[in-house]
Amino acid sequence: MSLYQVNKLLRDANCNAELAQRCCTEPEAVLQNYDLTPEEREAIKNWQVRKLYDMGANPFLLLVYSMATGNDMRAYVKAINQPS
Amino acid sequence: MAEIVAGIATSHVPFMAAQPWGGVDEGQHGRVVAGLGEAQKLLEQARPDALVIFSTDHFDRCFYDNLPPFLVGVGEEAEGPVTNLSRLPKVKLKVAGDLGRFIVSEGLENGVDFALSQDLALDHAEVVPLSFLTPRWDLPIVPIVVNAFAPPMPSLKRCWQVGTFIRETVERWPEKKRIAVIGTGGLSHWVGPPETGRVNAEFDRWFLQCLVEGREAEVIAQYKKAEELEKVAGNGGQEIRDWLAVAGAMPTSLKPRVLAYEPIPQWVTGTGVMAWAGN
Repeated sequence: MSLYQVNKLLRDANCNAELAQRCCTEPEAVLQNYDLTPEEREAIKNWQVRKLYDMGANPFLLLVYSMATGNDMRAYVKAINQPS
Repeated sequence: MAEIVAGIATSHVPFMAAQPWGGVDEGQHGRVVAGLGEAQKLLEQARPDALVIFSTDHFDRCFYDNLPPFLVGVGEEAEGPVTNLSRLPKVKLKVAGDLGRFIVSEGLENGVDFALSQDLALDHAEVVPLSFLTPRWDLPIVPIVVNAFAPPMPSLKRCWQVGTFIRETVERWPEKKRIAVIGTGGLSHWVGPPETGRVNAEFDRWFLQCLVEGREAEVIAQYKKAEELEKVAGNGGQEIRDWLAVAGAMPTSLKPRVLAYEPIPQWVTGTGVMAWAGN
């Protein structure tokens, strides 16, 4: 069920530039608003994108979140191809 | 009675209308833009009064909390794009709410259970193609958002059937109006998974040829499951649903042809443009 919350966080940030910014500057404060497992929380905080993908997070949301939080697509493609 | 006077299907990758990522071959870019220019000319010649536009979402209008297979915009106006990493122009379009409401009510009475929205925003899936096809932004639209982005999705067969339903419904609409049908998305592309950037030109060319030859049934039979389609065309390739809906909506008097196809890994997309037009 909490995977829904992972996708929800990604989606919320993708639709709200201010929230995307807060994900970078105060991730703990943002993450506490979502019902996440400790593993999910750590993976988002440390932006372990391949791990989130392997856990079942939606890949489109992962890519857009990555760009919304300041990474370019080349960096994303590199990260998603590194085994978790 | 109303009639369908043209059909266009095209990719909607934002790079088409914004700054390309990583650069793109000028020849490829030029051929895509030329194809879109030809599509615009065909559309103008068909003199439509309104557009029915099948497009997809990108999680900016629908999410896992509310995920209709087919969502029709029936308000007065639609504005967008909602999310705008590509810095596209913000536009406001008139919605042909009378036709939209007719489609929804006819659907509910005849076996197509459309969801509706009186305040549907626009996504780049409409804004990018229409920036080329109707650059004066002067035609009212009926947006139909097809779930081609979040499983479970309607089958390819169902999308084609909904297209045929749109043709029958437009032809029953008691207004003397000329309607064009647009479909946006695809072709093959992987957006987010490890294969991001891959394009399957072989699949794309086969799919286009199937549409040109009226062999939609072959596509539908081959890819009954979304997972099977995703293997060869990527998660973005699911958007061929919108092309099949256009194909289903076309009367036999309108003939299909491909106006452009370019596999463009820099745009992360097999980029195509197709039209159905009279002689």
